[in-house]
Amino acid sequence: MLGLALLSMVMMLADSRFDYLSSVRFYASYLITPLHWLSDTPRAISDSVNNNMQSRSYLIGESQNLKDQLLQQQYQLQKLGHLEAENRRLNELLNASTIVEERTVNAELTGESPDPFTKRVLINKGSNQDVFVGQPVLDAFGLMGQVVDVEPFASWVLLITDPQHSTPVQINRNGNRAIATGTQDSLQRLELNNISDTFDVMIGDVLVTSGFGGRFPAGYPVGVVSNVVHDPGAPFATVIVEPTAQLDRSRNVLLVFK
Amino acid sequence: MANKLSNHHGGWIIIGTFVLAALFTVLPLPDWLEAYRPEWVALVVIYWVMALPDRIGLLAAWIAGFFIDVLEGSLLGLNALALALVAYLALSLYQRMRMFTAVQQSSTILILVGIHQLLSFWVLTANSQNTAPNLIFMISALSSAIIWPFIFVALRYIRRSFQVT
Repeated sequence: MLGLALLSMVMMLADSRFDYLSSVRFYASYLITPLHWLSDTPRAISDSVNNNMQSRSYLIGESQNLKDQLLQQQYQLQKLGHLEAENRRLNELLNASTIVEERTVNAELTGESPDPFTKRVLINKGSNQDVFVGQPVLDAFGLMGQVVDVEPFASWVLLITDPQHSTPVQINRNGNRAIATGTQDSLQRLELNNISDTFDVMIGDVLVTSGFGGRFPAGYPVGVVSNVVHDPGAPFATVIVEPTAQLDRSRNVLLVFK
Repeated sequence: MANKLSNHHGGWIIIGTFVLAALFTVLPLPDWLEAYRPEWVALVVIYWVMALPDRIGLLAAWIAGFFIDVLEGSLLGLNALALALVAYLALSLYQRMRMFTAVQQSSTILILVGIHQLLSFWVLTANSQNTAPNLIFMISALSSAIIWPFIFVALRYIRRSFQVT
């Protein structure tokens, strides 16, 4: 018992503080991958049943809706393309570093951490699809989190609302920078750290990634300020942010490659 | 799992029960149910230690825990340590536990899984992965104790029908 306890403690220390054991975990996860697939089958079956049982009229309606949406977004894209080109020209005039083109790859959520205290999800792309640790993960609405652990055919994503996760953000309206950290209680809640009472932030402000820290590319939406509390007794204001990404609902996510 | 001597049968059945327990451990549950999830692997470890203490012991529990760590993506060695401790305690208790009534067994399970949970909680807190200042993590000890009689009967049925020795 003592020997095993000692071994476990050394392993935990090595795993949390150093990077020695990532290859052990990597190879052991080859054995584990079938279990991930198995645990995902009930969901996969219900999805395929749902897909096959849709009525014709519903599908026609859905297709019409999607066409309308596509038209709207293509219209917006036309303007965006122009703006992007203009932005790049202006940046070049200013000799600023050019904005890097990002490539995204679709992935699908296949699981969630069984530990109720961490907010981690499993996606179905791993090192075989060139996923790397620290890679930003988005959904259609905003930033979801980053990859923290890569297995051959799957990877773990730490969500931005995990209490251990902090995201460098800036306010879209005025460019003020802050750090948004997750909270313990809710999946849909972030808080801004150390915000002084004079900091210019209002309910409804949109926060985007600032690109500081070099982890997330700048400009992806993170959340919307839902509440600002100025308590005269507290040293800092409490700023509550609701993430724009649908952290509890999105199944399809995007992995960002630079 | 353990050394395969000639008078041992059904090692694959034992491994199968562990795989099933691991599967139940990661099966997606609604958020509100997540905290109530019993510690399936701990229950299976305790059962096999009770039934075949010469075969399933510390090492088997430790290896099972190691794979659970990989499966959950948790700190490597966390579940291994906790399950080895559970197996150690079960090894020193199994002669008494075999004589216990269902209620007595369940209360022992409550204590054993409670120790398992407490140890995991301590380690996570020491590693600052955990900031929850409440006792929610103990609920799964309770649900494990409640579900234990059913697990016990099911695993005993498996052991007898496949003649695992």
